[in-house]
Amino acid sequence: MKLKKATALMTAAVMGMSLLAGCSGGSAETEKKEAKTKDGKVELEFLSTKPESKDTLQKLVDAYNGSQEDVVIKLTQPADAGTVLKTRMTKNDLPDIVAMGGDFNYVELQSAGAFIDLSEEDFLENINESYMKMLFQLNKDYEEKSYGVPYATNSSGVIYNKDIFEENSIEIPETFSDLMDACEKLQAAGVTPFELTFKDAWTILPTWNSIAPVLQPENFYTDKKEGKVTFADTHSEVLEKYLQIVNYAQQDYMGTSYDDGNKKFAAGEAAMMVNGSWAITEIKKANPDINVDQFKFPSSDDAAKNKVTSGVDVLFGITNSCGDADAAKDFIRFMVKKENAQTYADEQFAFSAVNGVEQNDATVAGVKEDIEAGEVVDFPDHYYPAGLDLSAVLSNFFLEKNNGKEDAQNITDTLKQLDTEYDALNVQ
Amino acid sequence: MNKKKARKPAVNITFYVMVIPFIVLFFIFHTIPFLQGIFYSFTDWKGYGIWNTVGLRNYIQLFKDPAMGQTYWFTMKFAVCATILVNVLSLALACGLNTKIKFKNTIKAIYFLPYMLGTLIIGFVFNFIFGNVIPQFGAALGIDALSVNILGTNKAWLGILFVTVWQSMAFNTMIYLSGLQTVDRDVYEAADLDGAKGFQRFRKITFPLIAPFFTINMVLSAKNFLMVFDQIMAMTGGGPGTSTTSISVLIYKRGFDGGQFAYQSANAVVLFLIIAAISIFQLKILEKREAKMN
Amino acid sequence: MVTNKKNIKYNWPMTILLILLAAIFILGPLYISVVIALKDPSDMANVLAWPEKFRLQNFVDAWNMTDYPRKFGNTFFITVINLVCTILTNSMVAYAITRNKDHSRLFRMAYYYFVSAMFIPFNVIMLPLVKQASAFHMDNIYGITFLYIIFGLPMNTFLYTGFVKSLPKALDEAAYIDGCTPFQTFYRIIFPLMKPMSATVAILSFMWTWNDFSMPLVLLSEEKNQTLQLAQYVFKGQFNTQYNLAFASYLLVLAPILLVYIFCQKWIISGVTSGAVKA
Repeated sequence: MKLKKATALMTAAVMGMSLLAGCSGGSAETEKKEAKTKDGKVELEFLSTKPESKDTLQKLVDAYNGSQEDVVIKLTQPADAGTVLKTRMTKNDLPDIVAMGGDFNYVELQSAGAFIDLSEEDFLENINESYMKMLFQLNKDYEEKSYGVPYATNSSGVIYNKDIFEENSIEIPETFSDLMDACEKLQAAGVTPFELTFKDAWTILPTWNSIAPVLQPENFYTDKKEGKVTFADTHSEVLEKYLQIVNYAQQDYMGTSYDDGNKKFAAGEAAMMVNGSWAITEIKKANPDINVDQFKFPSSDDAAKNKVTSGVDVLFGITNSCGDADAAKDFIRFMVKKENAQTYADEQFAFSAVNGVEQNDATVAGVKEDIEAGEVVDFPDHYYPAGLDLSAVLSNFFLEKNNGKEDAQNITDTLKQLDTEYDALNVQ
Repeated sequence: MNKKKARKPAVNITFYVMVIPFIVLFFIFHTIPFLQGIFYSFTDWKGYGIWNTVGLRNYIQLFKDPAMGQTYWFTMKFAVCATILVNVLSLALACGLNTKIKFKNTIKAIYFLPYMLGTLIIGFVFNFIFGNVIPQFGAALGIDALSVNILGTNKAWLGILFVTVWQSMAFNTMIYLSGLQTVDRDVYEAADLDGAKGFQRFRKITFPLIAPFFTINMVLSAKNFLMVFDQIMAMTGGGPGTSTTSISVLIYKRGFDGGQFAYQSANAVVLFLIIAAISIFQLKILEKREAKMN
Repeated sequence: MVTNKKNIKYNWPMTILLILLAAIFILGPLYISVVIALKDPSDMANVLAWPEKFRLQNFVDAWNMTDYPRKFGNTFFITVINLVCTILTNSMVAYAITRNKDHSRLFRMAYYYFVSAMFIPFNVIMLPLVKQASAFHMDNIYGITFLYIIFGLPMNTFLYTGFVKSLPKALDEAAYIDGCTPFQTFYRIIFPLMKPMSATVAILSFMWTWNDFSMPLVLLSEEKNQTLQLAQYVFKGQFNTQYNLAFASYLLVLAPILLVYIFCQKWIISGVTSGAVKA
């Protein structure tokens, strides 16, 4: 009885609600929020999604706040910033200025119309054109407008301990077979070749991101979108090679966290890691004296085909809920000044998207030439649909391997799963 | 006296003043979001921008989605194991605490301590223990199984189960203990005379007497465990793979993400239906059994 | 019975077993936390060993890094305001409902309305609530405190009604005859009698708000609004491998609640259990 009554009430209420909701749908209203500090200055919130760069950004923000009278920039840096950013978009409460990677989070925000168009701004003149084009590729319908200002770029590849390489007289491998030989040699000498940190699932991506773009067929992204190709037909070699890498990792690679792994690598417990240049900042923090460098991941046996994976690591965007867009633009103008961009590049071991800023640190010397020559490929996962949890699929792949699943079957199943999930998201 | 004859006593208007504002507030801040969630589950809303109604599409997708299947399987497996383990272990512990032990109050206080501590921090502490302390031990003792972080293996869910049981036992034990204390000593003496001993005595005498407490514990625990969230966020974030992604974690991680607001709303509705069904079912079954036993 | 108290034979094997289990499983992890929080980073080779030298700087650093005073202030505000308001208002709602639900449909409906809402987990209403709360500008500590008071209603109504039932109606009637309004009757006569249940409700609300993580996680995005629990999550990335700092920070969060527990332990245990049992 009671239940029936409750159900009836509930149904009635749902129907009522749907009428209400029906009226309010469709409008993407944005609310401009203008915050002022006590002494009447404009306060702008500047959210960065890169925890590694907090100190550097804070330094630059302080310099800006000290350089003029009218605006105060407040830097915030939440953990799990990608989710926070999207939660805040749902809440209609975006920060004024965002510093984020040119990744699927950017795609998500841009396609929702969260950013204002900066194409006409004078400060874009100093920005490297190829990185601006890289962002166009991420825009909705490939629109050739700048919603984000590329600032820093990264390089993803193999980070290696130079001293360990020298002690074992190992040359930098240029092909995948060379890499395997080097691993064999290191292991024979009692050195762990790779420190992998799969407890934090996102660290599974860099290796995939290095191998996949080199081995996948041309136009894979567009063909895949149109349903002409599948992961199952084209990506099995990627996983086969990945399995070989994992065989040379430390025993507990599934249970090691990014932080712990960086610390162990910094202490010289392994010869190599596969990750982006951002990890170098963390490694250096743990051991300032370590002698590290990066080389491009030798994905194939054809040395000429191998490329550095490089993408926009930090871009600045002004959101459409920004209280004072002119003040925000002024801040970005300050940030892209050559000397400030140089500070950022120096402290973060990053490459700059600002013309004329050079990266001369020894820790990334191995990939510098390729990056300057534009011999790079972008991160493939930026081109998969948002919501495709590649890291979870790959994490599961290695979990199954450790459960004793046979490799060939595991590869087939994983790629099939990837196709299924991709297609499900692509339809929506 | 004449009240019995009167129809209905008039309700003093003040009582309406006491209750109605709270009903209204509760409706606005709890029921409306609930109904909105149900409504959104029939749309393709991303959490922003334009949307259309899509009928049952989200629900159909939910059943076809292998990731969803795994999430539900993990959550169910986890809830069942945790409910059973917590109740069996805390009943045993309560029986132990109910014997004539010395320092009873201090020991009791220590066993209740985990209840006071925030789940998130407990998760962080055990995350460290599983990741850095136990592997050190395992390596030193040469036990392979112990020398890796359990949270990186397919047994990761056992690590989360352990922490959950560790914390949840505190509350349940105290409930059982207060139940056991209501059992009259004379009943046992009578049972002794009848020759009932040990486990038989427990099954025939003790358990029926504390059955109501058992009901409370089963219902409360099952409901909480189906919503497991904090421990997972603190320890694995849902990994490795998606092996420890519970329904609640999925709703949080995907709900604000990649256009899944409506889809995860559907997921939330299903979670609600399951919890409501299980709670009602459990209450019915356990009440019936209690009645029989008494 | 009373006379042979001295002759009680303690069950020593059980005592020892229970102490051992408690030491390994309950005090062990706490010991690890304390030891790590006191150690120097260079002293981590054997994590279980007692620190060579106490490093209290860990606590100072953690205090500054997480802006402890502010986070403590936020958490304290939410917890205390919620506790006071919950007890004052929810008891009143439950009283009004219990006294009238036998002869008024509205109050009976209200009872079932609140109690059935207990079956709706927070995660189910989370997504729409986040939108609604931000539209109402409630994504700050004031808003979240208000929401806690409202969301506590189902459970507390359930707890209180059971208790009010046991208070004789004659009390109310006597008060009416003396000319008291229902408000006066409630706050002067009934509310003081509800003390045992209020204690239970107080403890449960205190524990809930102090230790809650999911509601602050989705509602409080600005750093100045964060609670202690949320701050631990947010700073997880920034502590990275500085475990000594991280554990010092955890202990700073646990400390207030441990203090409360040490002093009111007996009262807390009986409050929590009696609440659950009576319900």
